[in-house]
Amino acid sequence: MVNESLQDKIKNEVVVLASSLKEIVDKFNKLQHPIVESHEKVPQATQQLDKISDQTEVATQKMLDTIEAITEREQDVLEGLKGIIDSDVNDTIKSEVNKLTEKVDANVNDAYSIMDALQFQDITSQQMDHAASLLEDIETKLNNIIVVMDGEQEAKEPVEKKVRAYDPHADVYDKKTNQDEIDSLFKQ
Amino acid sequence: MADLKILAVDDSPTMRRIIVNTLKRAGFNEVIEAGDGKDALAKLKAEDINFIITDWNMPEMDGLTLVSNIRGSEEYKKLPILMVTTRSVKDDIVEALKAGVNNYIVKPFTPDTLKEKINEILNA
Repeated sequence: MVNESLQDKIKNEVVVLASSLKEIVDKFNKLQHPIVESHEKVPQATQQLDKISDQTEVATQKMLDTIEAITEREQDVLEGLKGIIDSDVNDTIKSEVNKLTEKVDANVNDAYSIMDALQFQDITSQQMDHAASLLEDIETKLNNIIVVMDGEQEAKEPVEKKVRAYDPHADVYDKKTNQDEIDSLFKQ
Repeated sequence: MADLKILAVDDSPTMRRIIVNTLKRAGFNEVIEAGDGKDALAKLKAEDINFIITDWNMPEMDGLTLVSNIRGSEEYKKLPILMVTTRSVKDDIVEALKAGVNNYIVKPFTPDTLKEKINEILNA
């Protein structure tokens, strides 16, 4: 009698355990699909970031071409205006030419200000490299999870990583140390 | 100033172009460019460089390794080096200082700061 009761108890436990295992396997199978899907999408996100970076670089170079062309033309204009001032012209003309010279100078300075502002491209490109590098790490981890889920003994092909040189703290506006602090470090 | 030949080292073509333009506006007309530390060392051997402006984060060889290489070389150890980088964390700046850079600017920089730091190094 005692043995039969024990057998029943064990049988019941095994049934519960089997049911739990089936539930775990079902959940595992349900999880597998979104993980595989995410794993496939991560490289697309990385490529997209690299594409933004590359296209911004090309656009910035075109802007630099234009700025250089403008400043060169404006230098020619300044030379021409200087020639007029140096020639035998009356004071009214000289005064007008001086006003034009000031405007051309302002144009040149504004063009250079645009050029200086284009430093953002290097900084945002580093930020995108950082984001892409984080995505590559996620891809590697998902890769490892999929290997375990598939019950494979050997790891899949390692994720191919682009060589990225970036500062993870690169920021256009937030400098952790200002120039005065840097100067005092170098004076010590 | 006219005799100074500057080597501008940065992996970003945009940054190199901005630095070269800024230097020319400041009267430094002889500027050689390099895309990373390895390229910089090759240019250093090929050209008569008097001053180096270098980025930190670059592929192949980073700026800090470049500085260490230069400071460890009998021939170039006294070359003035200005680091221009996005790295603004104090520990990084101290590391660059210990590696032997003469001064340090955090990007984005203004043309005035670049000119000022070059002159400070040259007049030290």
